[in-house]
Amino acid sequence: MNAVIDVQHLKKTFNKEVALQDVSFTIQKGEIFGFLGPSGSGKTTTIKILTAQTEKTDGDVLLFGRPANEMKQSNNRKRFGILTDNSGLYTRLSIEENLLLFSNLYQLPKSAVKEALDFVNLYSDRKKKISQLSKGMMQRVTLARAIMHKPELLFLDEPTSALDPVNTQHIYNGLRKLNEMGTTIFLTTHDMSEAEILCDRVAFLHKGKIRAIGSPKDLKKEFGDESITVELKNGACEVIQTGEQDAEKLFHWMQSNEVSRIYTNEPTLGNIFMQITGSDLV
Amino acid sequence: MNLSMTRIQAILIKDYKEFSRNYAVSLMVLMPLFLAFLYSKSGSATIATYFLSINIAFSMVTTYVQCCLIAEEKEKNTLRSLMLSPASLGDILIGKSLFVFIITMVIVALIIFIVGYSPANLFILAIALILSTVFYIAIGTLCGLFAKTVMEGSLIILPVILIFSFGPLALALSSSSPISKIAEWLPSSQLVLLAEALEGTYTTMDVIIPMVAIIVWSLVTWIAAGFIYKKRMVD
Repeated sequence: MNAVIDVQHLKKTFNKEVALQDVSFTIQKGEIFGFLGPSGSGKTTTIKILTAQTEKTDGDVLLFGRPANEMKQSNNRKRFGILTDNSGLYTRLSIEENLLLFSNLYQLPKSAVKEALDFVNLYSDRKKKISQLSKGMMQRVTLARAIMHKPELLFLDEPTSALDPVNTQHIYNGLRKLNEMGTTIFLTTHDMSEAEILCDRVAFLHKGKIRAIGSPKDLKKEFGDESITVELKNGACEVIQTGEQDAEKLFHWMQSNEVSRIYTNEPTLGNIFMQITGSDLV
Repeated sequence: MNLSMTRIQAILIKDYKEFSRNYAVSLMVLMPLFLAFLYSKSGSATIATYFLSINIAFSMVTTYVQCCLIAEEKEKNTLRSLMLSPASLGDILIGKSLFVFIITMVIVALIIFIVGYSPANLFILAIALILSTVFYIAIGTLCGLFAKTVMEGSLIILPVILIFSFGPLALALSSSSPISKIAEWLPSSQLVLLAEALEGTYTTMDVIIPMVAIIVWSLVTWIAAGFIYKKRMVD
């Protein structure tokens, strides 16, 4: 077994309010795992428990085969990186000064700062003070800090929520590269397209419970509609199933040159989430 | 405890840069120097007046600056970033205290120069001043850990300034007064009592008792600060 994260029957309550209930999942080394759910579903609480920032109420939480609580130890903290919505950057310092501080805390060579800045496309802006940056730029600096020490496990809480499409694409490419180098990624998002692009597997979290878990492809197969819509030249719109009988029907239309347009009715992950939980992701 | 000089130095340099660009806090260190200048012009040349300036420096520079540095880290969530890095409790607390320690030493030395105080035994007094600085840093750390924002920290610090800076003034009250009895055991009062003893013929106990009292205050406050810090590591 190469489980980097193993969570079994996790429960977390705040006073009497249940934040997480019977949450179980395992993440293997090298996986990109998406934790999807609307605000307040328990995504950030899960990350906090995994990184020993919050105590669990019940259940077993193992990271690298050791109890998550041991992640408080100085040496274990080198094994993971974390990006959260609250940047925790020193606003009076420049981008470079912030990263230099953390490169010293992780005892990395100075070249690590340049590599991290290149990763988030911020090298030319390195002298800018954090207080002068946009939210998107701050998010990129936080990401640079999270990946600078090349962690085995990376926690990303909504990593591209404030980024423009060009930088989002840049970050996706970088994350794939990191993943290819062996970094396991635990990603929380409510951006379904992001999850589809990046994740090997996803879990839907709703009101503190996991409602479904699997690869985007398998989930679509399990919960999706495999029908195809065919628009005919006479204006009719026919929905056919992916069986042998309907294939013949489609073949007939095509032979007689009646087809104007064909498209699949494959659902998005967002559609599946709504189907399972009855609520939207945002 | 796992300590790293590289990490301590990194936090020290960071604090210096942050402090030098934060005028609201950095200008505060000039206040005790200004007060010392006023006292020097008042013509009063007693140990009590010399140490009023020094004790004000401990509260307004050491405790206040340390409290603000910690409270700001909490307010901006940067303390959590440090806690999630490989820096240990010792690295963070020593790194964050070292800068305030250096500033305090410089300010206290300048005050001694401005008020024209020439201690009879500089060596013993220097040790007492260093121990006092360690105590005031601990109390600043504790206040900073309790405060959620810099503004809240500035308020929490007010009773500390009042009790520790002006506590020794209660020594002038009748020795049978209960306030005087309590005030006598404040670290600031013990510092004054030690300095007064050093000016005359003193016994070993005249030196040891104030030193031990200041050390006990420091230890208790640092243990409390360490405990609160560990509690703040988790939500």
